[in-house]
Amino acid sequence: MSANGWAIHAQGLTKRYGSLVAVDHVDLEVPAGSVFGLLGPNGAGKTTIIKVLTGLSDITEGTAHVAGYDVRRDPMHVKQRVGWVAAEVILDDDLSGWENLWLQAKLERLSDWKGRAEQLLAYFELTDRRKDKVGTYSTGMRKKMEIALALLHQPEVIFMDEPTIGLDANVRRMLWELITGVNKQFGVTVLLTSHYIEEADVLCDRVAIIDHGRFVATGTPSELKGRVKADFVEIETSEALDPARLRAIAGVTDVRSQGNAWILRVGSAEEALPRLFHALQTDRIRRINVEKPSLESVFIDITGKRIEQAGSDVQDYRKFYLNVRRARR
Amino acid sequence: MTTANPTVTLRATVPVRADGRVGQFSQFSGLYARELLKTFRNPWVIVITLVQPFMWLAFFGGMLSQVSSAQLDEFLLHAPAGTSYLSFLLPGVLSTGMMSIGMFGAMSTIQDKRFGFMKRILITPTSKATVYLTKALGSATRGLVQIPVMIAAATAFGVTLHGSPLAWAAWILGLVLLGLGFSALFLAITSSSTDWQTPGVISNFITMPLMFASGAMFPASIYPPWMRAIADVNPVGFSAQLSRSVLTYGQFTGTDLTYLGYLGLFALVMILAGTALASRYLKVE
Repeated sequence: MSANGWAIHAQGLTKRYGSLVAVDHVDLEVPAGSVFGLLGPNGAGKTTIIKVLTGLSDITEGTAHVAGYDVRRDPMHVKQRVGWVAAEVILDDDLSGWENLWLQAKLERLSDWKGRAEQLLAYFELTDRRKDKVGTYSTGMRKKMEIALALLHQPEVIFMDEPTIGLDANVRRMLWELITGVNKQFGVTVLLTSHYIEEADVLCDRVAIIDHGRFVATGTPSELKGRVKADFVEIETSEALDPARLRAIAGVTDVRSQGNAWILRVGSAEEALPRLFHALQTDRIRRINVEKPSLESVFIDITGKRIEQAGSDVQDYRKFYLNVRRARR
Repeated sequence: MTTANPTVTLRATVPVRADGRVGQFSQFSGLYARELLKTFRNPWVIVITLVQPFMWLAFFGGMLSQVSSAQLDEFLLHAPAGTSYLSFLLPGVLSTGMMSIGMFGAMSTIQDKRFGFMKRILITPTSKATVYLTKALGSATRGLVQIPVMIAAATAFGVTLHGSPLAWAAWILGLVLLGLGFSALFLAITSSSTDWQTPGVISNFITMPLMFASGAMFPASIYPPWMRAIADVNPVGFSAQLSRSVLTYGQFTGTDLTYLGYLGLFALVMILAGTALASRYLKVE
């Protein structure tokens, strides 16, 4: 932990891949012991931020300190003090759970790790399956195994990339409890990325909303939500619509298009909806959605689009997992 | 907490701190052991490693088995009476086999990149050089599996093997060095690649020419000058010559010692150059 109380401290952090700017002059301050969330659509640069902060990728520009060490100058010291949980759940499927822990201990150069490994297996309820190849584990168990690996060397900071992507609702809720537990009971600083609004809202002490490699807003979830003094109405119609007609409706302060849909910024959805129905032929409305103040509406307010549709393509992660696991066989 | 066992204390009770870490050999031995575990747990890996040289003996050897011994003797061997083509071929096949195993090391490295395992390794304080060296050593070790099987198969085909224990030690050392050198070479060339096809392409560019221009299948004395020029600097040929000297003719001469030294130099240069290249260019994904 760095002397000034920041577990992660970055200034002007920039990563370019050729002409593509994946992370664009980001300033990041994560207090030790907190849970910090990077919230944004797919392709916004969240994973790249993790890669440069952990020393997996070189920093193009700017400075970053993690767990008190300069990532550019002392990457090995940083690596000794951080843990990492990948979005795609990376384990060696040919090895058993215990062997994965053993290999992790070897890579972290731990001398006395078995007691700790047994505790972690017990905590994650994997003790019974320790001798089975992890290729036979369920997705939830694999995720737990991965978190156990990340905690084995008692990191000060743990990076979790989309920790619950592609998981069932109940497994997701269980993981939320685990992440909170890891943070509170292990005292580990957590930096997680997510494109699930609810997840960032529930888990994070502070959130940075990221789009196209830039932080567009930072604060506690309630601060961010308090910033938006409006509701949003998303409307999709069967026929083309003149935006001027939407703008003319009383209470509508802004109209933006996203795909086939229109996103209207309104003072109060309750008051705007009747006027909207009055102004439009209701049988042409195919879908209507009201967004009350939330992290999602913060994102809509700033970028004019929804987080979960803003990425170039929304992947089917269940299929993705299935393919990855098939390919591993 | 619904899932966690409340009796388990999560706070640090085991004194494992950054300053209490063991040396870097830990990473090396861990990754090397992983290579071996993954190899020997996969029956198909073993089958491929073993079948290829065996096929050579059976088919290539079988092809020439009906040629009269007088013709063979004049054309190929100038060897002691009773030496069969198979006993000429065996040392050559083992040497070419050690060359091609480098390709499997390159493939397993690409697999680690594509499945993200390279990220898992490199996010720990493990250097790229360590990853590279364990892959090279792992694939060379895997190549050694074929030796006992080939010896057994050749004996079953009726080949008589010669050589003192010391000469055998020198011969096997030569094979290890050859395997290390080529594994190091393949891995260095493919260190920045993530494409499944690369090792196969590279392998065809390297393996095929070096196999034929080596004297492993036929004596280099029958080659045209341009092929003989390749054979003169081809490590596969040096290993084949050394192996043949020991196994087929039962001798270990000063020339063979030079071959061994040359193989040592080859392995050393490849490993040093490869480590330097991989430290810089080994891709994470």
